[in-house]
Amino acid sequence: MNTKRLILISLIALGALALSACSGSATANSWYGLAADADRAYVSAGSLIYAVDLKNGSEVWRYPAKADANIIFFAKPLLTTDGQLLIGSAGKNHEFISLDPVTGKEKWNKAFAKGTWVATPLILNNTVYAPNDDGFLYTLDMAGNQVADPIEVSGALWSAPVTDGTLIYLSSLDHHVNIIDPVKRSVVAAADLGGAIPSSPTVGTDGAYVSSFASAIQFVTPNGEHKPITKVENQIWGSPVLDGTTLYYADLTGKVFSQDVAGGKQNWSVQPNGPVVASLLIAGDQIYVASEADPTSALGTLVALDRDGKTVWSKEVGGKLYTTPVASGDLIIVAPYQATNTLVAYDTQGKQAWTFTPAK
Amino acid sequence: MWEQLIIQPMTNLLLFIYDLLGHGPHMFGLAIILFTIVIRLITWPLNASQVKGAQAMQELQNDKDWQEIQKKYAKDKEKLAQEQMRVYKEKGINPFASCLPTLIQFPIIIGLYQSIIRALSAMPLDMLKLSRTIYPFQNVQGIIPLNSKFLWMNLGSPESVQILGYALPTLAVVVALTTYVQSKLTMPASSNPNDQSAQMSGMMSIYMPLMLGWFALNFASGIAVYFITSNALGIIQYAATGRANWSNLLPGGNKKNQITKKK
Repeated sequence: MNTKRLILISLIALGALALSACSGSATANSWYGLAADADRAYVSAGSLIYAVDLKNGSEVWRYPAKADANIIFFAKPLLTTDGQLLIGSAGKNHEFISLDPVTGKEKWNKAFAKGTWVATPLILNNTVYAPNDDGFLYTLDMAGNQVADPIEVSGALWSAPVTDGTLIYLSSLDHHVNIIDPVKRSVVAAADLGGAIPSSPTVGTDGAYVSSFASAIQFVTPNGEHKPITKVENQIWGSPVLDGTTLYYADLTGKVFSQDVAGGKQNWSVQPNGPVVASLLIAGDQIYVASEADPTSALGTLVALDRDGKTVWSKEVGGKLYTTPVASGDLIIVAPYQATNTLVAYDTQGKQAWTFTPAK
Repeated sequence: MWEQLIIQPMTNLLLFIYDLLGHGPHMFGLAIILFTIVIRLITWPLNASQVKGAQAMQELQNDKDWQEIQKKYAKDKEKLAQEQMRVYKEKGINPFASCLPTLIQFPIIIGLYQSIIRALSAMPLDMLKLSRTIYPFQNVQGIIPLNSKFLWMNLGSPESVQILGYALPTLAVVVALTTYVQSKLTMPASSNPNDQSAQMSGMMSIYMPLMLGWFALNFASGIAVYFITSNALGIIQYAATGRANWSNLLPGGNKKNQITKKK
């Protein structure tokens, strides 16, 4: 091979490398999914899921044992009452997997969907309702077998379905909230909210509260009728949280709101830190706000507010905070993205309990 | 800098076209095609100067003066370089005229690819980035999410067509073929068997289709739609100048040309 040919091939290879490197499409990437029970926290952090001991932050198990480029996890795992940890893969083969939450051993693994798994499934009457990016809601028994044809819902499904015990509310990126009758296995009503809906509805009395990219929260009834509850300055990414008759929510500007849904009045609004993408967490008498990045330090920050919106404490976690924090016992656990630690746990007074960084 | 100067304007232009088209099914594919046409029109003078520069360099290879100095100073590289510069000056040729436009276009191609990938936002993090990329005057809530369906393809995934149980990468084949046709058409006939520029062009016409075909095979099909549209426009642009070398597409076409010229 002469020198010129070698140079030419090298240049082409370099070009290929440049395009591949900057494409960002070769592997999916997003923020982590986080769940916890009384003993362990479970974090889906890309190529691996880790179970972490809540007592000291040590690793209990990881799945798979060795990272596989075709299996990627970002969805929030679901713990079932019959002892399973359910999660779908955002990787190439779109597997839906059941693990033993104690040992991390695979119970079953099924590949039936055409799209990636971003959403957490729902369990209702021993049936798994698993929404996929391909626009279908798959129904499985607890052993992972499809019990019927999937229910076709338009648009990509990125959020967990919720139920009032009778109907299922499922939001879609195509701007619709779909109301599904699990007995009829069909969409019985749908409401167009005018903007993409990346988060789950929140079930209330006779309907559900839904936030969207239309910078609003709407109340959707079982027959698909909807009325605006509030309009804010920017997109709302997280689900609203209902506590009694008070609704809490935050928008992308970083404002946190408290609203009385019975009287329709806004109680207060504060801006404790930077933009908020995650849902708020209510635990005990505090409201936990995962701020994506502090306006000064640009680091993800966890803020605890009291019920009047006053800041009780604020901790810079590092990286960026997109994942909704979880509470277990006296601990508040956060999963920062692109940070040194994959998990950080605080007690309710804001004292750091432990951190978790996976061993290589 | 790259983000503000390349990615954001390109993504917004792409989304603006998509919004104008009514953001329904198949419209994002059409938006990519129209977007490619706009980019091609903007870079038309660059392409024209590239073609012109390549032609001038090619013609120089057949120039008697040029061939003589190659022979005369074959063993004295320094003197050869000086003489070559003299000829360039005399004939008013810029030796970089053919490669400079290519270098300028390379960031455009990378930027375009990143814009398409960002616009299709396959995961929540991508969508957050996209929502922050869109300029305030655009209809953000109407545009997001993009409908990635185009004909039989999902523009966010690599394309293949199932035939008899086999996944055939039709778009990758079309990308490779159109790239081959374009590079062959723009390759002028050379009567000089030692013409290094012709040798390089020959190699490019083999490696470029393979490389772009590999991209179409492995990356989002939206970029394959861009490659095919861009290649088709390149062929049309070159054919419009009346200098397209159609005989190059046939086996031995270039050799036949050389013999004809020698007679």
